[in-house]
Amino acid sequence: MSASDPTLLARSLRGEAGAFDHLVRRHTPRMYRVALRITGTAAEAEDVVQEAWISAWRGLPEFRGDSAVSTWLYRVVTNAALAYVRRRRPTVSLDAALTPGSGDGSPLIGAGVFADFRADPEGQVLRTEQVEAVLWAIAGLDVSQRVPLVLRELEGLSYEEVAEVLEVSVPALRSRLHRARVALLARLKERS
Amino acid sequence: MSAGGDPLDDPQWEWVRATARAPVPTPAGLIERVLRSVHGVRGTLLSRPLDIRQDGGLLRIGEGAVVLLARRLGAELGAEIGGLHVSAVALDTDGTGGTGAGNRAVLDVVVTVEYRGGADAAAELLRSRLQAALAAQLGTTALAVNVHIADVYES
Repeated sequence: MSASDPTLLARSLRGEAGAFDHLVRRHTPRMYRVALRITGTAAEAEDVVQEAWISAWRGLPEFRGDSAVSTWLYRVVTNAALAYVRRRRPTVSLDAALTPGSGDGSPLIGAGVFADFRADPEGQVLRTEQVEAVLWAIAGLDVSQRVPLVLRELEGLSYEEVAEVLEVSVPALRSRLHRARVALLARLKERS
Repeated sequence: MSAGGDPLDDPQWEWVRATARAPVPTPAGLIERVLRSVHGVRGTLLSRPLDIRQDGGLLRIGEGAVVLLARRLGAELGAEIGGLHVSAVALDTDGTGGTGAGNRAVLDVVVTVEYRGGADAAAELLRSRLQAALAAQLGTTALAVNVHIADVYES
């Protein structure tokens, strides 16, 4: 049986390099998924994941175990993604990266960044279009709405977990999420 | 959705649920590139600090500090050149034996390149600019820089 996250973290703190490597292998797919859904492009998501793991390594001695390791890593990758998006040059727009109605669908799906449903003949074209629309709509939201939406609606974290990751109160998070959902639906209806 | 209604009750919210279920493949080699970066910062390749010969004497600097500096400079230069993303940075030696004074450290930089044609030329430009930037920061030409292209993607 593979070691638990807290065990691996404790071993990492004791200087066991292989234990941290194990955490990297275990959590990188999830961290990449979060980074991609926040930044909207594969290359930027990879940059974010790299920065996040370096931050995690450097911040290891300060981790007190108050939260689950996965929550801590969500916070690290979210902060890295937020920092990345905020220092992005203003000429680079997520709307441009996810242009709606471009004929061949979202560049992200076309480039294989997100799974392509088109190979499945069972009416998956419709679902692909829906996923494209949602990604486009999320990409157009302000990051203050985009991030909680990604964590709650796409990653499936509980309100308490999202609040912990973002270091806000649950009532404040619920309010922000409601506004984000309304904004997301408005963009979806605008497109369809 | 009716005014004031719960967005979660809107039939179109099913699109969001479908997006949540859509798998997101991890790019090939990403985990290995991350591990390489972490190892670079951790300094597993070289056991001792780097001794870099300068005009005024010898600069002793940790491997992790060199890697972080190179990573930051590489990211800035990559954005400046356009379409270059630094994936991993690690230090190695050129095989002359150790990292003490007189030995030569080699900085390996792994990048992904946005396809616009001329990926090799862009990588070479990054290599020369990064080497110059490091020389300006560390006051030396002791660090050789290699740039490896891990992936070319379509923007």
